[in-house]
Amino acid sequence: MDAVHSLFAGFETALTPLNLLWALIGVTLGTLVGVLPGIGPALTVALLLPVTAKLPPVSAFIMFAGIYYGGMFGGSTTSILLNTPGESSSIITALEGNKMARRGRAAAALATAAIGSFVAGTIGTMLLTFAAPAIAEVAVQIPPSAKFALIMLAFVTISATFGGSPLRGLISLFLGLAIGLIGTDLQSGQARFTLGYPELLDGIDFVTVVIGLFAVGETLFVASRLRKDKASVIKLEGNASMTRDDWRRSWKPWLRGTALGFPFGAIPAGGAEIPTFLSYTLEKKLSKHSEEFGKGAIEGVAGPEAANNASAAGVLVPLLTLGLPTSATAAILLAAFQQYGLQPGPLLFVTSPDLVWGLIASLYIGNVMLLALNLPLAPIWAKLLLIPRPFLYAGILVFSTVGVYSLNNSVFDLILLAIFGLIGYGMRRFDFPVTPAIIGVILGPVSESQFRTAMQQSGGDVSVFVRQPLSLFILLIVLAALVVPQVLKVRAARAAKGDSLSA
Amino acid sequence: MSDPAPSSTLPARPALSVPDLLVALGVLIVGALLLIGTLKIPFGINAYVGPRVFPMIVSVGTLLLGTLLLVATLRGYRAEPAAEEDSDPDAQPDLRQPGIILGGFLLGALILTPLGFVLGTAVMYFSVAFAFGERRLGLMAGVSLIVALVTYVAFTRGLGLSLPAGILNGVL
Repeated sequence: MDAVHSLFAGFETALTPLNLLWALIGVTLGTLVGVLPGIGPALTVALLLPVTAKLPPVSAFIMFAGIYYGGMFGGSTTSILLNTPGESSSIITALEGNKMARRGRAAAALATAAIGSFVAGTIGTMLLTFAAPAIAEVAVQIPPSAKFALIMLAFVTISATFGGSPLRGLISLFLGLAIGLIGTDLQSGQARFTLGYPELLDGIDFVTVVIGLFAVGETLFVASRLRKDKASVIKLEGNASMTRDDWRRSWKPWLRGTALGFPFGAIPAGGAEIPTFLSYTLEKKLSKHSEEFGKGAIEGVAGPEAANNASAAGVLVPLLTLGLPTSATAAILLAAFQQYGLQPGPLLFVTSPDLVWGLIASLYIGNVMLLALNLPLAPIWAKLLLIPRPFLYAGILVFSTVGVYSLNNSVFDLILLAIFGLIGYGMRRFDFPVTPAIIGVILGPVSESQFRTAMQQSGGDVSVFVRQPLSLFILLIVLAALVVPQVLKVRAARAAKGDSLSA
Repeated sequence: MSDPAPSSTLPARPALSVPDLLVALGVLIVGALLLIGTLKIPFGINAYVGPRVFPMIVSVGTLLLGTLLLVATLRGYRAEPAAEEDSDPDAQPDLRQPGIILGGFLLGALILTPLGFVLGTAVMYFSVAFAFGERRLGLMAGVSLIVALVTYVAFTRGLGLSLPAGILNGVL
């Protein structure tokens, strides 16, 4: 029962009045920014990084935990009231929740999303509490060659296996890898791709890349194709609340969604989209009210929203135990750790237990706070959706500027931000996914150093990657993840041709 | 790749999309530039994996992927623009608006240090609001200055960041 013991120590850290205050500020800011249309959880965390710049590490991460969960809660509110998913994992919530809201059941949709998120988040955090130390103990023994293979797996699954177009996903990944290479090579001290700019010797900060590709790119893209009609926000009367019947129909989907979401978050399988889709399909199959699906069935909000949040908790397992992010948001959290000079991984449980366990304990606390914030205050969050678009996007750009400028207090970074904004515009216009680029920027340097360490240990023998059983096994999965979807696609295309369907 | 299967019963090949072609060529050019840059990196010493190895992998990989994209484009593949939350998928793209935003952003960035954070970000705010079709100039100017000022005070006083005061030096 070491985990319980450590967790109590974590609560001692997290329950100090000051840290409670940081957690509260974190969940409030996370919800606030997450509610804003067009800002998903990944961008929420990136934009709020400067807010934590002057805090001690433990407080900063307690605040991050709040921002992370808060951004998810805020996103579901937007999906339900505005039918605009902030990220792909909220598509289902937008689909079914917005239909519910249009039928005048906005309060129930918001309530089942919030309570479902709470249930899933709490169960997910419990699973994290017990799984993480056990995995960390095993993970200490993973050799560098297998760690390199794991990163390859994350690269392939995030960019090629689960995306719409593997080619475009891989190009996006390679763009990120190229950006990650810029700067001084730490091992040899050689400058790479710096084009003679001394500002580039330290490399390009990931915050500049994330905010440029996401926020500035989005602003430029939306400005180029403005919607002339007003987005219709659904009016919310009173608090988010549910009837007894809603409860009866929600609790099972919550639990099933949690069971689907957590494992998917914990493996590198391209984030939370798949479990939310699976949960939706499952609830539709099991429901006695399957005719309501597509018209606003409460199970279709409860299940996927729980899956989404359980997945967010699951993501923290590989992040904390292996230092392996399995989503864009997790990659940004990883980079935030690195900014504090901390390398998430099995050793973190040994070197900074107060930080890790304080973070885990604050996830429980943040979840309770979010429930308290979201149910009664739902109408206030809903008001945020009424901010006129010109003022909203203008504000996002100003905050982006603060975030990037305050990194080094240099205008050079702002010029970089504009360049990445243009690239982000191009990626939206030409259908390149942004997430693989982010993963490439953050994990690229990590993969290079693991590769070098492995080669150093093997005395320059490349075959170490196939002689070490675990890395061979993972590399085989990588190969399968690249090849199998293509084979299936070709077969599906042949079958479709056989049925003389036009492509 | 979701390009239509070329079969005799289908209508003739879709027309080649010039913007998509430029993107594919752009990826190839980036790959080539990376390769040139890679060859300029000096060899490290005493390491099994020098500083050139990964750049080489990335540049060759980019060239390869660019070639695949070029082939797909020549076969008639074209990218569908993303459907963002506030964008109109059927709207005719208007490049003047992003131009206004970029111009305002760069102007704001240039005056950030000499004239100060508040004026610089106010210019940015104003240009975005203008590009998004807001035309109540007085209101916009007021909101721009207030947002910039509140942001400045919150981040410098509240969070201890140092942002350039510029002409407001000593006033705030």
